[in-house]
Amino acid sequence: MELKGKSAIVTGGSVGIGATIAIELAREGANVAINYRKHDTEAKEVAKKIKKLGRKCLVVNADVSNYNDAEAMFKKAIKEFGGLDILVCNAGINKDRVIWKMSEDEWDNVINVNLKGYFIYNKLAAAHFKEKRSGNIVNITSINGLRGKFGQCNYSASKGGIVSLTKALAKELGKFNVNVNALAPGMVMTEMAKKLPPEFLQKAVDETVLGRIATTKDIANVVTFLCSEKARHITGDVIKVDGGQYI
Amino acid sequence: MKVGIVGIGHGKFGNRSDATVQELAFEPFKQAIEDAKNLMREDIDALVVGSVPEYHMQRSLSGVVAEYIGMIPKSVWLTEAACASGSAAIRTAYMAIKSGMHDIVAVIGVQKMRELSTEEILALMGRVGDVQWESIFGTTFPGYYALYANRHMHDFGTTKEQMGLVAVKNHHYGSMNPHAFFQKEVTLERVIGSDDVAYPVSVFDCCANADGAACVIMTNEKLAKKYSDTPVWFEGLGSASAEMSLLRRPNLVEIPSAVEAAKQAYAQAKVKPSDIQVADVHDCFTIAEIMAYENLGFCPKGKGGKFIEEKQSYIGGKTPVNVDGGLKAKGHPVGATGVSMTTEIVKQLRGEAGKRQVSGAEIGLTHNVGGIGQYTFVQILRR
Amino acid sequence: MPFKYFGKINFTPYTKVDEFADYLQKGKLMGTQCKKCGERYFPPRADCLKCMNDTFRWVEYSGRGTLNSYTTIHAAPKGFEDIAPYTLGVVDLEEGGRLIAWINDIPKKEIKIDMPVKVVPRMFEDIPEIKLYYTIEKA
Repeated sequence: MELKGKSAIVTGGSVGIGATIAIELAREGANVAINYRKHDTEAKEVAKKIKKLGRKCLVVNADVSNYNDAEAMFKKAIKEFGGLDILVCNAGINKDRVIWKMSEDEWDNVINVNLKGYFIYNKLAAAHFKEKRSGNIVNITSINGLRGKFGQCNYSASKGGIVSLTKALAKELGKFNVNVNALAPGMVMTEMAKKLPPEFLQKAVDETVLGRIATTKDIANVVTFLCSEKARHITGDVIKVDGGQYI
Repeated sequence: MKVGIVGIGHGKFGNRSDATVQELAFEPFKQAIEDAKNLMREDIDALVVGSVPEYHMQRSLSGVVAEYIGMIPKSVWLTEAACASGSAAIRTAYMAIKSGMHDIVAVIGVQKMRELSTEEILALMGRVGDVQWESIFGTTFPGYYALYANRHMHDFGTTKEQMGLVAVKNHHYGSMNPHAFFQKEVTLERVIGSDDVAYPVSVFDCCANADGAACVIMTNEKLAKKYSDTPVWFEGLGSASAEMSLLRRPNLVEIPSAVEAAKQAYAQAKVKPSDIQVADVHDCFTIAEIMAYENLGFCPKGKGGKFIEEKQSYIGGKTPVNVDGGLKAKGHPVGATGVSMTTEIVKQLRGEAGKRQVSGAEIGLTHNVGGIGQYTFVQILRR
Repeated sequence: MPFKYFGKINFTPYTKVDEFADYLQKGKLMGTQCKKCGERYFPPRADCLKCMNDTFRWVEYSGRGTLNSYTTIHAAPKGFEDIAPYTLGVVDLEEGGRLIAWINDIPKKEIKIDMPVKVVPRMFEDIPEIKLYYTIEKA
């Protein structure tokens, strides 16, 4: 168990990649706090699984783009767990549209949740970690933040922004013994992905060199690695977990 | 066999941007030779230069000075002990003569401070404490003495006014000394109203960085009568050191090296503090003069403030101190100061101090401190 | 963490007591103790002043002490003009030893000689460079 005694916050931890990340962190020994915006049933399911592993789980209703919600979640988690060691920012949405048809709201919304939401949680974590002189932040981005994706100028911009945010924070927090990294998944097989048209999925498979799509566990494994002592000398980096989709 | 001074010389202290360091050294050297009787430059068989090299562009000062004033090929070297370099040079010359290695030695204390900017000097002088553990926080020379002043005020009730009175006295006598940097008197109001440099030390509590040079020519008892009708004798010399860093000193209210050096000098000269009739002490800051009264035994510990308040260090008081203006009015060309003090006491003991004469002075003392008291040299002279 | 990270301007990047900076960055104030005669030193020194032995161990200091004296520097030396005026304090440490450091967070009016104080390891946080120091704060 690489993360025995640690405590973590995972945003967007009620479904998809976030849920698996939360469970795998718990499997490695950490207590985990997750937030949900509307998936309360799913969130409670995740909590059940974590508690079965013998760890504590805190479930909080919070909108990641709301500072007060975030602050309250941090306070609660730190009080409940006696401290915080890990932040995984994972909550994200997409509202695809070609730019000439994209509304201001569709732009603002995606930026607020995907980029500002990460800023808010990273800021709160930074304040805590720098006093503690230790901490680990993993910001989930996407290979579509490294390259552009048709119809996703808002999503790509937000995910690209996460990369620079991560690097800037790695520089600010390094002297406090805090590692900040980004993880860029390619296509991941989540419940949501299963609902996509099959040609879409096939296209993604064809892009990979391994001839398959990532499971959520493929992503979570790298997150737990980044949060472990084994990765103590990795910081300010973007690790792609995409089966070779990007290269 | 005694060692005596047969010739003295003193240049104008101040802003000497008109001369290089060796040109400055020439002035008092020439005066000293003329002040002596029957002395030729060629009779002098060694030169000791007192100076702090870090302030000058010119490297290896003593050789350059020796060449310019015409002492080549005689023996020449430099001594350094921060602001007490001049006295260190005199002590070395004394040892050379006393041991018989040299017969006639010229000592020149010379310094150009103003080749560096004020901030550079503040930084450089501030590094005289412990560079590893203190300078990293931006300590300065006035800052160090301010720490002493603040503690002295706390332990003994010394006041800013009392410190200010030292400046008033020294500028009063400085106005009568044509060699001094500052020739005007100052009021107490002006002194205590001046800007803080390092609380509680303000601008007028500090001596000024200055350029200048002074010279003494020393010889043994046998030759002294040949070169002077009024040789002045070294009766006692004391020298001691204290920790570089005040972090390792017993307290912040006295300079331990001064106490020790004075003890040695009094013992060798077989005199008591109350026998001293005129003294030049190291008033780099007004608090330094107050502590000097105490460390030299002119007054009891802690009563230095009272001593100046009662005008005991004025001519007519118990022990006239710094009646040539001190470092305060003369300025402090660090290598030259110790030699300057010595020339003043020689003048007094010869009866040649004019308006500033302490009448009938027979025994005088110089007290020259290096750094924040890392080195102290005390000399007792008698006519 | 090498010693060069200690101080606003560091003048002695190479020293036998280099590890001091490492401990300071971790929030610990450490002095040295002679392995032969047991004499303790703060600031730390590698070679024993008392018995001249040259082996030592690191010992932790609480930072508690008394304020011996202080001054406020207005005329700052080169490299410190941007923080002037600043107040320097001299602290006699509870376990022995003495140090100089900035007095932060104690209002001028409340600074009194002989007051109890605490010396706290700190870092300049808002700059990219690593600069470690310690400050004198209320006990």
